[in-house]
Amino acid sequence: MEFGGGQGVAMKKFDLELAVGLFIIAGIVCLGYLSIKLGKLEIVGERGYEIYGVFSSVGGLKVGAGVEIAGVTVGRVKSIKLSNYEARVTLNLPTALKIQEDAIASIKTRGLIGEKYIDITPGGSEKAIEPGGRIRDTQPAIDIEELISKFVFGKI
Amino acid sequence: MRSAFLIRSTFSLSLVAALAVPALGASPMDEIKQTTNKILSIVTNSAFKAPSKSEEREKRIRQAVDERFDWKEMARRSLAIHWAKRTTEERKEFVRLFADLVERTYMRKVEDYSGEKVLYEGESKEGDYATVRVKIVTKKGEDIPVEYRLKKEREDWFIYDVSIEGVSLVNNYRIQFHSIISQSNYENLVKRLREKVELK
Repeated sequence: MEFGGGQGVAMKKFDLELAVGLFIIAGIVCLGYLSIKLGKLEIVGERGYEIYGVFSSVGGLKVGAGVEIAGVTVGRVKSIKLSNYEARVTLNLPTALKIQEDAIASIKTRGLIGEKYIDITPGGSEKAIEPGGRIRDTQPAIDIEELISKFVFGKI
Repeated sequence: MRSAFLIRSTFSLSLVAALAVPALGASPMDEIKQTTNKILSIVTNSAFKAPSKSEEREKRIRQAVDERFDWKEMARRSLAIHWAKRTTEERKEFVRLFADLVERTYMRKVEDYSGEKVLYEGESKEGDYATVRVKIVTKKGEDIPVEYRLKKEREDWFIYDVSIEGVSLVNNYRIQFHSIISQSNYENLVKRLREKVELK
């Protein structure tokens, strides 16, 4: 009888431990899912295509910043590298989105002193930029301090 | 006898080729310098200073500008996604209105020229496209960076965009035209452009 009882208790303990284990695993999975969603990581692999633009100044644009058209975020900044003392910015865009050859990419600021992002105004050309191609026409970030200093020191 | 003929024809051919080469050699910066100097010489010419001569002066400045600016390309880039839906007639009219708009908007500033220095900083070429960087130094000592974007068309370079302080003229109009067309329609944009152009 004791034997039977002992086995019963062991089973209960095993059930309990199993339950706790499963609960912890479920918790970790949920935590992982939340982290990925919030961190906006692309675990499933990079979809879409890449194009790049060269800017004389990006003003603190960060990798992962948004690419917008008409105020809608359509892509992300994939990488920013210094190339010939200018900033070479690679953008990741959805495959279905065609960027015209004469589209213009500018660095804009959220508000006046917020984070930087890329804005693209579509062009009128029938030719689209190929994957790996370049947006030829770009506008650099506007340096507020530079403008102020020009305004201040311009008056002699 | 045959060899003499061959020598003469090859020689004359090479002469013709040599004459043609200088036309192919002009760099984008040279073209910008040429047009800028032409305009400045008109503006500083005392023969055109009198108010009675202002129309003549304006006409000459426009002529010099029209030589270097590719208005069709600029108008198309500014109208952007709305260009495709326009008929040939509408496009012709739009290019003319656009050229008028830009010329009238900036004519006053050109005529207000009073000795500002134009410094040619550099140029970069990539196939049929080029940018020329210029700096305008005002009397107050301000540096205004200007960037011309040019495209080669039949061995000659034409301007398709101007950026002042990093702000593109084409992008400026592109955003405004798109906004007006989205909120009303293309006909309304044309009406507004006509009003603006006739007002001056």
